[in-house]
Amino acid sequence: MAVKIEARGLYKVYPRDKGEAVPALAGLDLQVYENEFLAIVGPSGCGKSTLLYLMAGFLDATAGELLLDGRPIRGPQRDCGIVFQHFALFPWKTVKGNILYGLEERKVPRAERERLARHYIAQMKLTGFENSYPHQLSGGMKQRVAIARTLALDPAVLLMDEPFGALDAQTRRLMQEELLALWERKKKTVVFVTHDVREAVYLADRVAVMTARPGRIKAIVDTRLSAAARRHELLESEELVAKANAVWALVREEVEKSAALGE
Amino acid sequence: MGGRLWRGVPLLVLALLWEGLTRGGLLPPEVLPPLDRVLERWAAFWWGGDLLPHLVTSLWREATGFSLSVAVGVPLGIGMAWVPRLRRACEPLLALSYPVPKQALIPVFMLWLGIGHASKIAVIFVGCLIPVVISSLNGARGVDPYLLWSATNLGTPRHRLLWRVIVPAALPDILGGIRMALSISFILLVTSEILAARAGLGYLCFFLGESGAYEEMFAVVLTVVLLGFGADRLYVQGMRRLLVWHLEEGR
Amino acid sequence: MRRLWRGLSPAATVYGLLLAWEGVCRAGLVTPFLLPAPSAIAWRLGQQLLAGDLAWHLALSLYRTLVSFALALLIAVPLGLAMGRVRGVRWFCEPLLAVGFPAPKIVFVQVFMLWFGLHELPKIAMATLEGIFPILSATYLGALGVDRSLLWSARNLGTGEVRLLWKVVLPAALPQVLNGAQIALPICFIVVFVTEMLLGGGGLGDAMMLAQRFADSRGVFAGIVTVSLLGYGTMRVVAWTRRLLLHWHVETQVRQL
Ligand SMILES: Nc1ncnc2c1ncn2[C@@H]1O[C@H](COP(=O)(O)OP(=O)(O)OP(=O)(O)O)[C@@H](O)[C@H]1O
Ligand SMILES: [Mg+2]
Repeated sequence: MAVKIEARGLYKVYPRDKGEAVPALAGLDLQVYENEFLAIVGPSGCGKSTLLYLMAGFLDATAGELLLDGRPIRGPQRDCGIVFQHFALFPWKTVKGNILYGLEERKVPRAERERLARHYIAQMKLTGFENSYPHQLSGGMKQRVAIARTLALDPAVLLMDEPFGALDAQTRRLMQEELLALWERKKKTVVFVTHDVREAVYLADRVAVMTARPGRIKAIVDTRLSAAARRHELLESEELVAKANAVWALVREEVEKSAALGE
Repeated sequence: MGGRLWRGVPLLVLALLWEGLTRGGLLPPEVLPPLDRVLERWAAFWWGGDLLPHLVTSLWREATGFSLSVAVGVPLGIGMAWVPRLRRACEPLLALSYPVPKQALIPVFMLWLGIGHASKIAVIFVGCLIPVVISSLNGARGVDPYLLWSATNLGTPRHRLLWRVIVPAALPDILGGIRMALSISFILLVTSEILAARAGLGYLCFFLGESGAYEEMFAVVLTVVLLGFGADRLYVQGMRRLLVWHLEEGR
Repeated sequence: MRRLWRGLSPAATVYGLLLAWEGVCRAGLVTPFLLPAPSAIAWRLGQQLLAGDLAWHLALSLYRTLVSFALALLIAVPLGLAMGRVRGVRWFCEPLLAVGFPAPKIVFVQVFMLWFGLHELPKIAMATLEGIFPILSATYLGALGVDRSLLWSARNLGTGEVRLLWKVVLPAALPQVLNGAQIALPICFIVVFVTEMLLGGGGLGDAMMLAQRFADSRGVFAGIVTVSLLGYGTMRVVAWTRRLLLHWHVETQVRQL
């Protein structure tokens, strides 16, 4: 399988005006294959968001290499769409305006723009809120706008930072299914950060477990479920539970370590 | 609408109190002329055409100085946030000129520009410039960096970030600063016109007071108060319309 | 080296400007009447300081400022608290506040002159009037926002309504009250200065207008420097006092818990 994104000995240190600099990532190695669905789990503050920001080209690595299609990432990447953990919607634009924004910037013809916006508004269950402003929406709705905005651009690589974190359990389940369906249909490379081990196992081909800060990859677990298990309506299939337990055992060690560090 | 009328009642009570006290002879007319006399004189003043030229003069000075300060201040403030070198150059000047009471500059501008339009416009311009620059600078610097990243990721090139993200995100701050400048501009206008002028509402008020025409003087005072209040109301209405997306509304 | 340049540059801009100004004046590019050199202004300031007339004007202006500030506090704080807690007072005062705040109140200087003559009273009245608005509006909003449960529990303990204002509402609204006061003090100072410019009768504003009338531009510029320094000084003093008071505010609250 072709490697889409590759990190080799990646370091990221956040400088601070006062006090010590914060090492967020320290020697992270990771390969993300083309068209795979990779989930990243790890304790809070271990550098998951940082890793995504590096992949999207917002930050420069302090040391190490980060390649996209074999070329080093320098500056913002056009075909990496990101869904931010805290949404980062434009507060002065309506739901529709936010979804249209990227399409306008890419000079998509007007009719096509409108069609795409309508499509994603319906898909993300936002019908009736097209003209609401972000501050009038619930957290879950904002999150769905953020997802719609990125999906509408159909990027080759999807970087998602806890995209379902603010959703209620039911919507979350529906969104997970939608995302899987979309991924199977369009074949994208997805890097999906989550706190929810079960979600990671359910969605991803592989789950990368990160260590406590400074982050490194502790282990990569193959979690591809049999088709039967994936189609299983209940999340309680034995296969899934067993794999989730294995991943959770790994994460737990790191969460405890990170708690011991007082984070 | 009923609410707004209800809110007007206290002003009416005050007006009745004014009328009652003066009519009842509790306050002699040299101290406070009765309100109905003042209003009558005000109408005569207005229709007689004596008020209008002064009003126009004042408004011209006000509008010119104020719009100049906005036209210069907003780009300057945003530019300072965008170009670090510009900020380093201008910030100390800003810090130095901030505590200077702008009214104290009136004599200097009179010295330089005489007592006509130019000195008033200059004082208003300088006095309004600082709050506009500071609020634009703070607004543009305070833009959530994630919004910039988000726009970049959605395909906005760097040179368009200014227009697409920074200006709209900083708009609440900028408009707030302009509102402050608006009230400052009226204060400077009136002060400079009272101090030295040959036309304008401030001058008119001063002149009428000196010549003992107190009814007319009160009429001009009311005009100025209404003008300041009305301009602010009008501005806030416009601001609300521009900022529907913003949570906190201007009062 | 680069860092040195960075650290220096703010001061460098100012010094550079002063030097350029001095240079332009020395070179005779402008007449000293239009723009006296910084050195000449400094010299004049020194003279005024030695002669003692600066101290006199300064004392007068400060005295008027402090009196009007105190009056503004005395009027605006109780009124603001009442506005926040008493329906009728709020109903009556809110529209007046809404009209009065944005209006250029300086125009009343003519009215006050008519009522109070030319001496202390019109200046103090004018500065008090201008000082009232920021304190009133801040106190009002502070009192309006006081946590209801705090009031209920105090009332439950048998605190009377008037005592409630002083014992509960004021302390709870103190940060906002101080915000208002912090804005009002420099305003009082500036308004005193302006009324002195307009009405005379001693003080820094009068001294400056006198210099202007005698075409003494050094005196005018020296006046600007003095008020600016003083305006800056008052702002710093108020900020410092506020921090002190708030510190005490937090401490007393902690002790009560
Ligand atoms: N801009 C910054 N400046 C300084 N330190 C930062 C900055 N951003 C993040 N950090 C630090 O870097 C570490 C990693 O942050 P990051 O946001 O990547 O964690 P995360 O794994 O996404 O956490 P969470 O699961 O809570 O979102 C944290 O300890 C954080 O305090
Ligand atoms: Mg994160």
